[in-house]
This record gives sequence, C-alpha cells and structure tokens, in this order.
Amino acid sequence: MIDNPRRRRAAGRKRRAVRTGRAAVRAARKRGIVDEFATWIDRRIPYFEVLDTEALELIEHNADTVLEEIGIEFRDFPRARKLWKEAGADVDGERVRFPRGMCRSLVKATAPSEYWQHARNPRRSTIIGGERTVLVPAYGSPFVTDLDRGRRYATLEDFRNFVKLAYMSPGLHHSGGTICEPVDVPVNKRHFDMIYSHIKYTDKPFMGSVTHPERAKDTLAMAKLLFGEDFVPRKTVLTSLINANSPLTFDGTMLGAATAYAENNQATIISPFLLAGAMSPVTVAGTLTQILAEALAGMAYIQLVRPGAPVVFGSFAAVLSMQSGAPTFGTSEPSLVVYGAGQLARRLGVPFRSGGGLSASKVPDAQAAFEAANTLQSAALAGVNFMLHTAGWLEGGLAMGYEKFILDADQANMIAVLLKGVDLSENAQALDAFREVGPGAHFLGAAHTLKNFETAFYRSNVADNNSFEQWQQDGSLDAAQRANGIWKQMLREYEAPKLDPAIDESLVEYIHRRKSEFEDRDY
Amino acid sequence: MAMEHAAILEEEDIVLSELDDGELVEQMHEDLYDGLREEIVEGTCILLERDWGAEKVLNEALVEGMRIVGIDFRDGILFVPEVLLAANAMKGGMEILRPLLSETGVKPIGKMVIGTVKGDIHDIGKNLVGMMLEGAGFEVFDLGINNSVEDYFEALEKHQPDILGMSALLTTTMPYMKVVVDEMVSQGIRDDYIVLVGGAPLNEEFGRAVGADGYCRDAAQAADVAPAMVRTRRLGKIVNA
Repeated sequence: MIDNPRRRRAAGRKRRAVRTGRAAVRAARKRGIVDEFATWIDRRIPYFEVLDTEALELIEHNADTVLEEIGIEFRDFPRARKLWKEAGADVDGERVRFPRGMCRSLVKATAPSEYWQHARNPRRSTIIGGERTVLVPAYGSPFVTDLDRGRRYATLEDFRNFVKLAYMSPGLHHSGGTICEPVDVPVNKRHFDMIYSHIKYTDKPFMGSVTHPERAKDTLAMAKLLFGEDFVPRKTVLTSLINANSPLTFDGTMLGAATAYAENNQATIISPFLLAGAMSPVTVAGTLTQILAEALAGMAYIQLVRPGAPVVFGSFAAVLSMQSGAPTFGTSEPSLVVYGAGQLARRLGVPFRSGGGLSASKVPDAQAAFEAANTLQSAALAGVNFMLHTAGWLEGGLAMGYEKFILDADQANMIAVLLKGVDLSENAQALDAFREVGPGAHFLGAAHTLKNFETAFYRSNVADNNSFEQWQQDGSLDAAQRANGIWKQMLREYEAPKLDPAIDESLVEYIHRRKSEFEDRDY
Repeated sequence: MAMEHAAILEEEDIVLSELDDGELVEQMHEDLYDGLREEIVEGTCILLERDWGAEKVLNEALVEGMRIVGIDFRDGILFVPEVLLAANAMKGGMEILRPLLSETGVKPIGKMVIGTVKGDIHDIGKNLVGMMLEGAGFEVFDLGINNSVEDYFEALEKHQPDILGMSALLTTTMPYMKVVVDEMVSQGIRDDYIVLVGGAPLNEEFGRAVGADGYCRDAAQAADVAPAMVRTRRLGKIVNA
C-alpha cells in the first residue's frame, strides 16, 4: 500500500508539520516545476560538438576563401557598399569581396558576446548569449491550423492568441516576432498591430518588424513610447530577424531594417537561410562554410554601422528533398550543421541563434512530434542561445499549429530540465534515502522522497501515462486532442499583464495617427 | 561492376546517325531521360535532315521523351537535378525547332512570361517553374525578380504570351499579384492571358481571390497544368469563333 503523503502531512508529521491546504496544493500542482519567471535557461551541461579544432579551422579558412574570392552581394542598398569601401573591402558593383580575416576582426573587435534584452516587465528582461538558452515561439507562418477549423490564412486574432499562449507558457522566455502573419490586415500596416500585441498582451521581450526600413522605424518609435525616449538608444529592447537572401546575398529590405535597428543599438540576428541542395551545397561542410561566410559578412556590416551594436550569429539550415524539391526537417544532416555552427559561433564569441521545433508535417501527428523532438534536442545540445521557432511550427514554417504549439511548449519545459544538468548537492546525492529505506523496500514514502517529489521530475501536461482503461475513460484522446483542450483552456483563462494606461493610450494614438498618414497598400 | 562498365562502353559506341528513325527516336527518349543536351540537339538535327517535319520531331521525340521523364519524376525515380538536366536538353532541341515551327505556322506549345512580383527577390521556385515549362516545350520569357505592373505589362505587350506567371515567397509581397490582375482588368486585357500564380505562402483560395486562373503548388504541377490550359483555351477560342 502506498502511503498518501498528503494525508500524512495533514496529520501533522513530526518532522515537517506544515499546513498547506487544498487550494495552495492545487495551485502549485498546476504550475508544475517550471519557474514562471524564468527568463533564460542556465546551461550546466557541456556542448555537443562534432568538429575538432582542425576541422573548425578548415571551415573558417574556406569561409574566408568564399568571402575573398566569390564575395557577398549587398543589393539595392548603396550605403552598405559605401561603408564596405571605406572599411577597405573590394567593392565591385553590388559585389563585395573581403580581405582574408577582415569580417572576423570586425566582429571580434566590437560585437558583444552577450547582451541584455529588456522587457517592459523588468522581471522578464533576458540575456542573449553566454551559457544561456532563450526559447522563442515560431516565426513567419502565413497559415494557422487547429483541429477544429483546419488550415487557413492567419488573422490578427490568431496573432493575438499566440502572443497570449506564449505569455502563458513558462518555458518560452520571449514573445517572438511575426508569430504568424496577420493576412487580414494590409501589408503596409500590419506591423503596428503586431508590435502593439507584443506590448499589450504580454510583458515578455519581443522582436521588431523587418519587412521595410520604415516599419523598423515605427517599431523603434513604439519601443520608445513604451520604454522612454532616452532608454531605447542606450539599452537594447528589440532583437530582430535579418535573413540573408542565400546564397551569398543580402537585400535592400533586410539591410535597411538591420541598419535602422543597429543605429539605435538594437539587436539583429543575421541569419543565413539555407535549404541545402538549393541555397547551399549538398554537404554539411559546404553548408557550414556558407553559413559562416554569410553570418560574418552580415555581422561585420552591423559593426560598421554602429560598433558594439548587438548581433547574433544566426543559422536556419534544413535540407531539400532531392527527389521532390521539398524542404525536409528533423533529419540528421541539419543536426550536424547546428552542432558545427554552434562551435563556429562560440569561436567568434557572439550569441548563436538556430533550432526550433521544426517539422514538415501538416498536422500535429507522429511526424510532427519526432521531427520537432529531433530538432529541439539537437539545438539544445548544440548550445543555441536564441532558439527561434521553439513552438508551433508545422509544414516547414508555412503553418502555425495551435496544438503543435502546446506540444512544443511542453518540450521547451523539458529542455530547461535537460540543460540544467545533474544536481550534485548533498540532497541530490540522496544518501539519506538509502539509509532510511535500505534493501528490499521502496522509496515512495521515504522522507527524502517527500521532501523532493514535487519538483523531482518534469511532468508533461500533454503526455498520457495512464492505464489503458483510464485513458479510455478519459475519452481515448490522442496527444493532439489533449493539446486542443489545453490551448482553449489557456485562452479562456488568459489575463493580460497590466500596462500603464498612459503608455497604452500613447501607443494607440501613435498607431492611429500613423495609420491615417498613408493609404492601405498590399505591398 | 564489369557489366556496368560494358554497358557504358556500349553506350559510347552509339552513333546516332547510324540508327534508323525508330531507334533514333527511342534513343532520344533515353537521352532526354539522361539529360544529354548535345545528343538531343544532334538527334533533332538528324531527324530534320531526314525530312521529318518540325512538329513531328517535337511531338514524337521531345514531348514524348519529356512525358516519360515527368512520369518518373512523379513516381520518385528521377530526382530534381536530373529533371532540370532533362529540361535543359529539351530546351536545346526546342531552340532548333522553334523557328521552323513558326515558319510552318504551327502553333507553339505555349509562351509564358514569368517573374517574381514587386518587392520579392526570391526566385529559386520561379526559376524551377521556368525550366520545367521549357522542358514541356514552352518558350519562357523570364523577367527575373522584383517586377512592377509596368514590367509585366511591357513584357505582355512585347512577347504576347499565352500565360502570365507570377511568383512570391513572402506574405508581404504576394498581395501584389492582385494589384497586377486588377490593373489587367481595368485595362481590359485580363482575358487575353492565362494568369498562373505560385509560391510557398499561396493556396488555391488565394489564387482565386487575386483573380488568377490557377495556382500551381510546385514546378512539376505547373508543367502539367500550363500546356493543358493553353490547349483548352485555344479550343475554347475556336468554339467561340
């Protein structure tokens, strides 16, 4: 017979007569073991590394060869080419070629190894870089999908829903950016509503708009209204995603947005976006070479714009099916890439972005789960500092899944437990437990267990571990169906974090004024 | 190993001009399958020298060969890089046939103007569609990236294609397709062309919403749909006339 620890405690055990009461216990159990105000994961396990020093030096040498011989195009943005020319690069039309080691020196000289990203709630401010991991929702899907309504274009309501769900997911430390694309709002105005949602419905840090330099400036203006006019250029309150137009190209839109953010000391993630086979060579070594070359050129450019502006070494690398041309996820080659890219980023001494719960599946099924588990685990072991796409991603990023979000958020919580490593405190060594229980008995009622059981093991909120009969009585639900119930309940229970009404009003006024200054446009 | 080696030797020994017509056409199907552009050009020239009409060469040697390629791509036997090679070989043959076809007044399989829309510089998918359509015998005028209404209109005027193809990768650029179609409507030229749209963030519903005639989910489907739509449209015109 298993002791009921609750009853024993209520009966006033000698060692620890604490009255807790039903309500408090119920609340605590619901919270689980994840710290609601965790703002990053402190990593206490080694990195998983696949390249030795010789291999890393080879990749670095080859990246320099690409930068020197082939170069990078900086398209439709004359200012970048001017800065490069002044810095001593060889500028030939839009093509920029870099003397060996130039980009690396620029990055190593002034790019910070880590930086604070402030949130409107100071308790949510986080540090990007170092031995930390920050988990961030998925980004950029035009579609959303759920079990009830299926796949459809995302709307502003969906966007708000995902901001709320991320706010309520303790394992996600960041609110992200374009969680899904609110296709129901005109292209040239939707950034106002997205940024406002990240301010209003959450108090976690967030990302800025990058689809036009003007939209980056609007984001900065709104951030200034929120944080204060003098706070923003001094402090970093935005981390924004700047994709390279791989292979070996940066375009004017991205460079314009990146420049606006860098000038204001806001962070940018320079992300080579590679589907190997189409946008990079079909090998891991070739892909790593390209990632390093593109990231170096982008980050070095930011250091030319404003020395010391925070930059993140980004990498999004998946492989194409050579059979059909479709992107694939959760296979082993991109895992090797993420391990190697993490090593390259650490050698540069800058934060690293990659990973996420990636999958090509259309629905939250077994494929979605195993592909996402593979990519999340690889990224966590690789030492990713800023893990975009942690939750929600389906269909190669084309769809944001409500149920998938819940399943991934559960995985996110587990990543925190994994990276914390092994506790070797006296309590964790548990010698008292052996002394108390001895051979042939069980640990369930032991004092050591009673003291530790609540936080000892991670409890998934979506996995069902019950007996077959119990599972059947509960409606024979699969994981996606259980997740469906969870996100709906979360949205029902959502309460917005308080926002100073004066700030709220100033933001609403700003948006209203700006929206009325120009016509709706769909480009 | 030895067997494979023998097979390669034997292949190298093939002299196209020594084959009879039937054997040559069959060999051209094989060469298209293997993406051998020079051999396809040579085979095309030989058949023409043997007084085959251009249309017969086109249909029996090239189009039939690419039909087989299409089947094996669909079935997952041929991979993307191989299909691109095959399409390139087909293009080689077409370049010889095209002037002859137009001389004899044979309607070309189809002409297409294609480009990514304004603001969008992502062109890998668009390039694949262009190559696949060339593989299907189309004459493709590629406008490249970042095309405004004016760019598209200028190309339509100049090339008089059957199809206008527009592509976008971004949710922020795809609505521009509607801007183009709306302008076609207001200038009264919408019905002069088949409008096909494609790109990762699109779907059927979006294609309809912008007023396109079709949405193609990938390059292979575009190469399937485009010739059929051109044929249907021409038949429709004849019936209407």
